[in-house]
Amino acid sequence: METVFALDVQNLKKTYQDKVGGVAVEAVKGVSFTISPGQIFGLLGPNGAGKTSLIGCTTTLEIPTSGDIFVFGESVTKKPLRTKMNVGVVHQEIINTGFFDVAEILDFQSGYYGLYHNKERCDYLMQKLSLYEHRNKKIKQLSGGMKRRLMIAKALVHSPRLLLLDEPTAGVDVGLRESLWKFVAELKKEGLSILLTTHYLEEAEKLCEQVAIINKGQILFCGSPKEVISQYAQKKVIVFLKDGSRKEFLEHANLGLNEILDKQRITLSDVKDMKIEEGRLEDAFSKMVTP
Amino acid sequence: MTADASLNTRMIIFFTLVRKEIKRFMKVIIQTVVSPIVSSFLYLLVFGVSLGGSVQLKNGIPYLSFLIPGLMVMGLINNAFQNSSSSIVTSKFSGDLEDIRVAPIPHSYIIWAMGFGGVIRGTVVGLITGVVGTYFHYLQLGTLLPLVHPFWMIYFFIVGGLIFSFIGIFIAFLAKTFDQLSAFSAFILLPLTYLGGVFISIQNLHPFWQTLSKYNPLFYLINGFRYALLGQSDVDLLTSVIVSFVGVAVTFLMARISLKKGSFSRW
Repeated sequence: METVFALDVQNLKKTYQDKVGGVAVEAVKGVSFTISPGQIFGLLGPNGAGKTSLIGCTTTLEIPTSGDIFVFGESVTKKPLRTKMNVGVVHQEIINTGFFDVAEILDFQSGYYGLYHNKERCDYLMQKLSLYEHRNKKIKQLSGGMKRRLMIAKALVHSPRLLLLDEPTAGVDVGLRESLWKFVAELKKEGLSILLTTHYLEEAEKLCEQVAIINKGQILFCGSPKEVISQYAQKKVIVFLKDGSRKEFLEHANLGLNEILDKQRITLSDVKDMKIEEGRLEDAFSKMVTP
Repeated sequence: MTADASLNTRMIIFFTLVRKEIKRFMKVIIQTVVSPIVSSFLYLLVFGVSLGGSVQLKNGIPYLSFLIPGLMVMGLINNAFQNSSSSIVTSKFSGDLEDIRVAPIPHSYIIWAMGFGGVIRGTVVGLITGVVGTYFHYLQLGTLLPLVHPFWMIYFFIVGGLIFSFIGIFIAFLAKTFDQLSAFSAFILLPLTYLGGVFISIQNLHPFWQTLSKYNPLFYLINGFRYALLGQSDVDLLTSVIVSFVGVAVTFLMARISLKKGSFSRW
């Protein structure tokens, strides 16, 4: 049986024409990857790597120059209205609908997806995201964190099968970030497929089953965080010396422990303790995207 | 909309958009409804009651009777235009157009919903202007303002509101600054309104201006509306009906193009 992916990006290209200078900017250069149903997928890259353009093409905010994107087997370019029903989006920039309160915003958002009596779902989301007590407040009365949570609630009112989170924790404090990631993990348990972009690589490493490292419009690597780390990040050897100091250096695959210590001019008698730390996604990421 | 989306789903989407438009202008009712009514009241007082007594029209209609339908249309079109254009402009500021664009909503729904939002706001202002005008009419002339063809009044309320809502969408999507938006109001909309026969009958104009007025589409809308109320106007009804109907089709097309090609970037 053919696998139906939650998201299937096929050789996607997006070029922007600079109307003033006439120079074409290739934001996405033939990107392909897939997200299996129920998976959290991290799209990681520096600013301007093409992440938001890719999400824009998935949500039809942008029109691909070539290639296609399939959401649960349906083409975004050919059947946009059908694919939109299955997608929820949390935009990078906060949307400030000034006229309405939280409950009204969620009510309208439900209506956009053809849902009229959706109070139960809206109430559930407001309670889950600690917005219920603020339901009669307008956006300008909410804190930055509450606004972010409202954006997530909006993206979920129609119970989408695929959630796109474009830097949902940008400018959010540590406590809220943790609670948002916890909520994302819960959504995964409910079977939701999630595409996530974030600059918090440590968190992406913990949450995502698959990641793609994107830079200058091209995918540099796609695989599990462990695979990325094993290929691009070396283990770290941390040596605690008897004089109280510590030294850190990268492990060499071809060298034994004594040879490494020799190389660092450390004698074994000076060593109090030592440990080997696994490589981190952040190290791999830096190695891949740093020019 | 997809073929398998039920009629119920489509209706909910459409009426959500209309409901949002109405709720939006009702939240700022002083600015959107009360303020234009005050302006119309002042026009009636100054031009209709004070100066109007000394104005003699060639067709023999009392000037106040002539003026009220014109002011009703002016209230209608200005508010229909402002409703859709300000809705889009504020959405450009807040970014909430993105919510609509990522939702499964066909462009035609957005345009018609904004169109009807404009019709409703414009009709509210136009009708209240009419009620206030009728009161002045009774005080001044001892009779109520006639309503000869109610059907045509409803027709012109709807098509007039739609035309100017669609123009509002067109301009707001193409505009990249507030300047561009207000330039349209100041240099195109305002002259067309004032020279379209709100305050004057073209029979009282020099033949050159009479000819020029016939190229103003607003002239047919105002006169069609005047015919609906008074039973007579400077243009025959059929011409007004045809021109205004074509106006709806053309401006709808303009709005569609602007929604496809216009600027969505935040201001």
